[in-house]
Amino acid sequence: MNRRRLLTALAGLGLTGGSLLAVSQGLPGGSDGLSVRVETVDAAGSEAGQLSLPVRGQPVTVVDLFATWCAPCSEQMEALGAVHREYGDRAAFVSVTNERVGGTLTRADIREWWQRHDGNWTVGLDPESDLMAALGADGLPYLAVVDRSGTVHWEHAGLVEAATLRDRLDRHLEA
Amino acid sequence: MRRRTYLQVAATLGAAGLAGCSASGAGNPDVVLSEPDREFDSSDLPYPAWGERLPDVTLPAPLADREVALRSVDRPQLLTFFYSHCNSVCPVLISALRNVQTHALNEGYGDEVAFHPTTFDPERDDADRLRTYGEEMNVDLAAGNWRFLRPASIGRAEEVVGEQFGVSFERTHPEGMDMYMFAHAALTLLVNADGYVERAYREKQPDPETMTADLETVRNG
Repeated sequence: MNRRRLLTALAGLGLTGGSLLAVSQGLPGGSDGLSVRVETVDAAGSEAGQLSLPVRGQPVTVVDLFATWCAPCSEQMEALGAVHREYGDRAAFVSVTNERVGGTLTRADIREWWQRHDGNWTVGLDPESDLMAALGADGLPYLAVVDRSGTVHWEHAGLVEAATLRDRLDRHLEA
Repeated sequence: MRRRTYLQVAATLGAAGLAGCSASGAGNPDVVLSEPDREFDSSDLPYPAWGERLPDVTLPAPLADREVALRSVDRPQLLTFFYSHCNSVCPVLISALRNVQTHALNEGYGDEVAFHPTTFDPERDDADRLRTYGEEMNVDLAAGNWRFLRPASIGRAEEVVGEQFGVSFERTHPEGMDMYMFAHAALTLLVNADGYVERAYREKQPDPETMTADLETVRNG
């Protein structure tokens, strides 16, 4: 999907002009797809550092946007964990919160949330909401399936069942 | 162009524009930010928008046990309108505001900005509920710059939030839920220290980075 088509698709989700502007800013000029760097957190299955999305060397990256205050995001972790156990060797999984660390929220709080929800893959920070803007996410949880070129093949706001995510992954892993 | 670069360039252009022009805010001396790119005037909008003065409203801040006269706040402020039982738009609005608060605390300008999220559900959003909600949302309630505002009654919420701020809200009774919810508009306002609106963000997911950059321009204006 080229950039114009991506923007059109996002517009179809009912985003406002303001959100579209943010989306166009989030995608680097001349790029054809998602390209965002996030800081990763030291947590179960995750090392501290930097990570470019989509994850290099993987055919598909599952991007999960969450927040520690978001109850449905907690619920989403069960399905994500199940799918990760099955597909973790063929697809990259990255969960990212746009909460800014500081004040009453520390990296240790995020690590603890992650552990409490049995997270076992990369977890990252998006304090300036670049990833949220690039995906045009207007709610949480938000899931996206992105291929190696950054093309977003599927995205969904709200809870997703494991079967739906499996189906979406199968389509792109077989393609 | 990378987004950050874009914002820096935009900020620089803004500053250059001000330096070359005796009146700030592209012709409006009451505001620092220039008029947003749009096809209508602020006076055509139901809510206070760019260059307009905040309504002369005083609301209780139940956690601080005081009242806040919005026009008398002597520093830039961010306002948004929400109810705490909301599952979709409101937590995103509050979270965006909270991210700006954390930026302010991390960068040492926490005392130079005020946050006034205002509930339109005073029936359920009492002091205890607002405190719990703030803690859940990781708001730093002890920082002294964040005050939840609560109109004293349902009628007062309609008068202030609905009529004076132009944020429509209507009770709904979703199937399968044993409580009422609201269909409502999303509005976040950046107001300068003189009480004039610099920006009205209409997005359901306002970008904290844009708000932080706008706030910085207003603080330095």
